[in-house]
Amino acid sequence: MRSVNFGIDLGTTNSLIAKYENSKIHVYKNPIGQKETLASVVAYRPDRILVGDKAREYLAKDAVNVFGGFKRKMGTDEKYYVVNIDDNVTPVDLSALVLKELKKFVPPSEPVEAAVITIPASFDSMQSNATIKAGQEAGFTNVFLLQEPIAACLAFFNEGAAKEKANGNWLVYDLGGGTFDVALIKSNQDELKIVDHEGNNFLGGLNFDSAIIDSIVIPEIIKQTGIENFEEEFRVKYGKYEMLYYQVMYYAEEAKKELSHAAATAIEFSAVLDDKNYDFYIPITREEVDRIFLPLVNETIALLNKVLENNRLTATDVNEIILVGGSTFLPQVRAQLAAQTGIPLNYAVDPTTSVAEGAAFYAANKYYEPAAVQTEPGDKIADDILASVDFNPVDLQIDVNYSRSSRDKEEVLLITSSGEMDNKTYRVTRTDGGFDTGFVTLKSKKTEFLPLIPGMNNLFTLNVYDNGGNEILSLKKEISITQGMYNIDGQPLPHDICIEVDDVENKTTKLEAIFDRNSLLPQKRTLYREISKTIKKGSKDSIIINILEGDKNSRASSNLTIGCIEISGKDLQTDLIKGSDIEIQIHLTDSRVLNTVVYLVMSQQEFKNVFSVSEKQINIARLKEQYVQLESELIDTVRDFQYNQDTIWEIKGTALLDDLQTVKEKLFKLKDKDKSDEKYIIAEKITRISKEYDKLGGNERIAALIEEYFHAKDVVLQAISMADFEKEELKKQFTKIEQSESSFIHSKNVSVVENKLKQLNDLYWKALSNTTSFLITRFIEYKNCSGDEFKDYNAAKSIMKMADAALEKERYPEFRRYVFSISALLRVTRINHNIDFKGTGIG
Amino acid sequence: MSNNTLQIINQLFEIQHKIKELGQAPGFERNFNRLTSIFEEEGFIIQDPTNEIYQDSRTDCEASIVGNVSSKMKITKTLKPIIYKKADNAVQLIQKAVVLVEKN
Repeated sequence: MRSVNFGIDLGTTNSLIAKYENSKIHVYKNPIGQKETLASVVAYRPDRILVGDKAREYLAKDAVNVFGGFKRKMGTDEKYYVVNIDDNVTPVDLSALVLKELKKFVPPSEPVEAAVITIPASFDSMQSNATIKAGQEAGFTNVFLLQEPIAACLAFFNEGAAKEKANGNWLVYDLGGGTFDVALIKSNQDELKIVDHEGNNFLGGLNFDSAIIDSIVIPEIIKQTGIENFEEEFRVKYGKYEMLYYQVMYYAEEAKKELSHAAATAIEFSAVLDDKNYDFYIPITREEVDRIFLPLVNETIALLNKVLENNRLTATDVNEIILVGGSTFLPQVRAQLAAQTGIPLNYAVDPTTSVAEGAAFYAANKYYEPAAVQTEPGDKIADDILASVDFNPVDLQIDVNYSRSSRDKEEVLLITSSGEMDNKTYRVTRTDGGFDTGFVTLKSKKTEFLPLIPGMNNLFTLNVYDNGGNEILSLKKEISITQGMYNIDGQPLPHDICIEVDDVENKTTKLEAIFDRNSLLPQKRTLYREISKTIKKGSKDSIIINILEGDKNSRASSNLTIGCIEISGKDLQTDLIKGSDIEIQIHLTDSRVLNTVVYLVMSQQEFKNVFSVSEKQINIARLKEQYVQLESELIDTVRDFQYNQDTIWEIKGTALLDDLQTVKEKLFKLKDKDKSDEKYIIAEKITRISKEYDKLGGNERIAALIEEYFHAKDVVLQAISMADFEKEELKKQFTKIEQSESSFIHSKNVSVVENKLKQLNDLYWKALSNTTSFLITRFIEYKNCSGDEFKDYNAAKSIMKMADAALEKERYPEFRRYVFSISALLRVTRINHNIDFKGTGIG
Repeated sequence: MSNNTLQIINQLFEIQHKIKELGQAPGFERNFNRLTSIFEEEGFIIQDPTNEIYQDSRTDCEASIVGNVSSKMKITKTLKPIIYKKADNAVQLIQKAVVLVEKN
């Protein structure tokens, strides 16, 4: 025997499936669109069957092929003729399709063999049996029924949300999207029983939206346009205002939701009515909708009172009103119910899922005999062997053909089948939820057009189903199509394309990738950055936009400059203030021509340039700074070799340094507008030495750096664990570094590993500056500093007093702010070879 | 991902369309591109499906059909854009577009 566990709310408007597991209820979401509810609508399209929201879109327009609300016809002999399939279907068939679709919400690893399905309190035996039949048609071996109000009560009782599980009366008030039901439940310690019920099959959330349109929107449109017969014309199917009707329906629903938590909102839209353009702004207040909704709510309360009167009960005889259905979220409903009945309301369980949850609770205590015979432990080995074989009990083969990469917005999928295809269906879905073919009848050859998200790897799944709607797992196919990349039509970039930006804190520059290696040409991107220094109009200061080709992780001097734009103060119409915005649009064509458009937001100036990558672009000022940076790094590295007594590497390093220094004099004599070839010769030498420097020290240096990196990682992790502020942010930054670990370790590039080490080091200091104990130590050090060490000692002293007070009162966040302020007042004593660092001017 | 982010993107989309209808779009294009770029850096992919072909397999849209149903239909108005979110090298649809479709 096995516990049923699955509960299904087979609703008139929407349906849900839930499971009881480990003392908890899990309501499944549709893998397409991630919604818990499935619209109870079935559409027979020319070559496929759609179930759910997609089907509902066609409900009003294709009544001969699309069906909703069929639950009301369960147990009758009603049949619907479907034009597209030239056949009749019954409410049972349609319900079975909804149930089959719900089964798809559950992962294949959790087979759904049996279920508890809920039915309205009003269902007679014929209707109940029809529901069981629908369950069997959907492939359930065992179906158990449960009345919806009972299911709702179970959810409230079992979740501990109901007042008491004592004897007494309860009212279940169920106001859904299109229907209303109220039921009186009598409970004792062991049993729940429906005593009476009333309902209206045509009263729900949609009526509230329509009330807003009828009472507020239509009168306002008539007032502004003067169109006499607007009200009659507005709702005419295929009428001239149909587009406006759907727009207004959407806005009315949005306004209804907004007014659930706001006192006022407005509906705003533009429309062309009778060849004239109108802009509508219709304010709506909560008071207005309270008044408009009142007759609808009163209608439900009248039915509720009728149940009480029929059973000779008063409000005091009822423990609570249990709210079920999405429309009970409306504040007007809750306020009027509470005020008019005086009975306490209970909405502790989500009203949209409570019926399914209750059904799952009930299912946990229902048992069935599984169809498959359970194997004895001795059969386990045989089972394992069978599981390892691609066993396909179906005489059916499926092949798929498609292009694995595409530059188009959609790609053709060819599905070829052979063997036993009768009554079998397939379905193709995109894993992000944006595409679903629905159930399509299998034929020897079928094509599907798969829409692709640009620049992404699009994953699709093809599933095949048997007659009973059960998936044939062995025929499942995964389809992966990459849009916009690795296509033979386009030329992939052999190196990263980067821009050089300032690292002001460290008085150096760093590279930022614009287009990654292997991106397909053409490529276009706009970068949004800030100016990192103020540039006066007419001054000699400048911004340098240096675009390079090479390795994004290395230093700029190791890369080849393919485009360089200098915008000096003399080109400016106004001053450029530090922090103002700069937009840099970069377009690299198929033939590798680089187009740039630089826009300075503050001066509203645009600079356009076109570079042919065959011409080298050198900026002398930037070249001088690159020289200084490389020289300082080489000096430090040679010193390290000396210290570690690596004589061979010391000699090689010194040779490189000497070689570099041969160009120093010439370089620093070059004028900014030098037209000779000298700058190219020097630039080439610097690039060559920079690349050789990366290899200096060989594998031992790389190995030592990697070892240092892992050691630093442990230290940083420890520091983060001790941080008292911004811990999550620090962890996030740590994970980011860690995620790129394998790629930069495999790069075997010294600069790359050094760069990551530097990032770890920065993170370490950041972690410390978020640790109270460290801040206290720092604060004591600052207090011991002499006045000369501060830019403004008086200001520092007054902040120190405030910091003392904050520390004494253990106001640590405040104390931290003061320590940061004092630190900002210290004179910077950092040693940097690039004292006159100007950089690119781009932050 | 907070619901507020989606609300901001939807508002941005609506403002963009209003300005376009008023014929003043060119003056604001740069600002809209900038805002879109900020959301893209956060992993959001925003798509306006207006003028695209509509098929019943498009589960990235919630459509209202204006006029007759046809095998060739087109999205003629978008009230809310499609929003995807990138995470761990995969994308997930987080908002379906709300659209009006008509016979093409």
